[in-house]
Amino acid sequence: MASEKSTVMGWIDRRLPVTENLERHLTKHPVPKKVNFFYLFGALLMVVFMIQVVTGIWLMMFYTNTEEGAFASVEYIMRDVEYGWLMRYMHSTGASAFFFLMYFHMFRGLLYGSYQKPKELVWLFGCFLLFLLMAEGFLGYVLPWGQMSYWAANVILSLFGAIPFIGPDLQVWIQGDFVLSGITLSRFFALHVVVVPLLMIALVVFHIFALHEVGAGNPEGVDIEKYRDEKGMPLDGAPFHPYKTFGALPAIGIFFIVFFAIVFFAPTGGGYFIEKPNFEEANFLKTPEHIAPVWYYAPFYSILRAVTFGIPFLGITSKFLGFIVFAASIAILFVVPWLDRSNVQSIRYKGIYSKIAMVLFAASFITLGYLGTKPVNELRTLIAQICTVLYFAPFLLMPIYTKYEKTLKVPDRL
Amino acid sequence: MKKLLITLLIFSAYSYSAGENDCGSLEKCDAFSSDVHDLYSLQRGLGIYMNYCASCHSLKLLRWNRLQKDLVIPENIVTEELIRTSDTKIADHMTFGMPEISPIGAPDLTLRTRVRGDEWIYTYLRTFYEDPLQTSGSNNLVYVGTSMPNVLVGLQGNQALDKDGKLVKISEGSLTKEEFDRSMKDLVNFLAYAAEPARITREKNGVFVILFFIVFTAVMNLLYREYAKELK
Repeated sequence: MASEKSTVMGWIDRRLPVTENLERHLTKHPVPKKVNFFYLFGALLMVVFMIQVVTGIWLMMFYTNTEEGAFASVEYIMRDVEYGWLMRYMHSTGASAFFFLMYFHMFRGLLYGSYQKPKELVWLFGCFLLFLLMAEGFLGYVLPWGQMSYWAANVILSLFGAIPFIGPDLQVWIQGDFVLSGITLSRFFALHVVVVPLLMIALVVFHIFALHEVGAGNPEGVDIEKYRDEKGMPLDGAPFHPYKTFGALPAIGIFFIVFFAIVFFAPTGGGYFIEKPNFEEANFLKTPEHIAPVWYYAPFYSILRAVTFGIPFLGITSKFLGFIVFAASIAILFVVPWLDRSNVQSIRYKGIYSKIAMVLFAASFITLGYLGTKPVNELRTLIAQICTVLYFAPFLLMPIYTKYEKTLKVPDRL
Repeated sequence: MKKLLITLLIFSAYSYSAGENDCGSLEKCDAFSSDVHDLYSLQRGLGIYMNYCASCHSLKLLRWNRLQKDLVIPENIVTEELIRTSDTKIADHMTFGMPEISPIGAPDLTLRTRVRGDEWIYTYLRTFYEDPLQTSGSNNLVYVGTSMPNVLVGLQGNQALDKDGKLVKISEGSLTKEEFDRSMKDLVNFLAYAAEPARITREKNGVFVILFFIVFTAVMNLLYREYAKELK
């Protein structure tokens, strides 16, 4: 034990359990030996989170959070601040990367049952993180105060206004004004740089502590804790550090190649990462012809728009019902651990219905994403409606098909 | 299930082809993608801008000295020939002495190529035609009903619409069609530069950053393989 030694480290360890925690979470923390690339997204998400924090701090040093100054200050960062353009593009590309990785990370969870007992809390914290990330992205998108910032925020805030009885007052309360204005901008700034990131850091810590308590999964769904060697290390496991930390480095390298290729050569992502109208200052007298969300909200925006009917006799407008379905599309992820009744974790050993469900879910999510960036017409609305059903069906039917489908036998070892 | 997927695929393909028109009355804008690394093109573009655009359109986000440095123009040429307002310093923005909001409604053009895209601007500048119904006497195929007069008529010559709605030349300008198109490319290049001066450094240095990470990945992969051996 390090704590008994009369070294500097021993001195510290008797007062703060540094060595103990390093061993517990890094050098002696067992993780499955064999995993696939899907298991790298968590590490990459940590990298992106750090990029966002660091570039965000630098942007904050030069940004002005007022209605008059916001747009000009972003251009000031782009032109007059040394490497300001790099900070800004890394931050905007980082937002897209964050969502891209998050979607894959969560899809991995769905595929390999990373939410099943006893990992429910890991999954729940992760879902909260998705929710917070969506809030963070939305709040941040308003800050450059371009046309799309302004009008997209108007669309989203008006959703709160659609809630019966309290809606209009609630919207004014959130905005802090009768219209979306500089007051909204500066409170969104405060939320974007302080409140939401703090919550996210707390949840990341919970997410990882909970994960280290129950142990990381693997694509086979094998419980590696069953067989241990004489030192107590699982036979199919290896210490997190150095094996997984160095294992992640090539992936981080590849990620940076793609990330910087976008930052340096296509920072606007063809109008999908930074939308064209956002290079025009917000003008409350001029609505853009077509208000489109950034790509990462597009699937959910499609779901919102797909609801073209309300329930008149209950006083529910189509807009409010759309808001409910939209909220449900995220909320349903939270309850997945209790919808899955399968006796195996991994999709590899689940039955055909689970496999079809995952394909349908992925296909509908991508199609909804595509439709969300396009203006509506009748056909697109119809497809969006079908896809909305296909988005929910895999979850809503999960208790049935996972219970009755035939599963394969999971091997003992990895 | 397969049938459903195929139907979905066909539906999405159909919805894609039913795309929207973002080039005014034209089916498609002419292909053009700006190049900010051609220094002479940028300088020629600046020349056209100063002669034909600067009397109405400001570039309020671009500074004179940034322009001077990036386009490698001798400082005395900028201060003596280009800055025409007496109280303007070289570190000031290129507002040409215009008020914050243009009295004739001419938009500031600093970020215009980023709002509209290179192709839109390039096509817009070349599709003016004579239209006596318009106050300015001219109309545009890309921005139908534009209030901007055809200031480039001296260079391009005048155009009119024939029965089929196609552009036909009705008078000659000082430039041939090829020369005019090239000038407009210069102008769009210059505007693209004005919209994002950092693009020059960005596109030049990006290669080195990516090369660094390729080497980084290769080295890290070797390191990883050493550790992976121990796991077998």
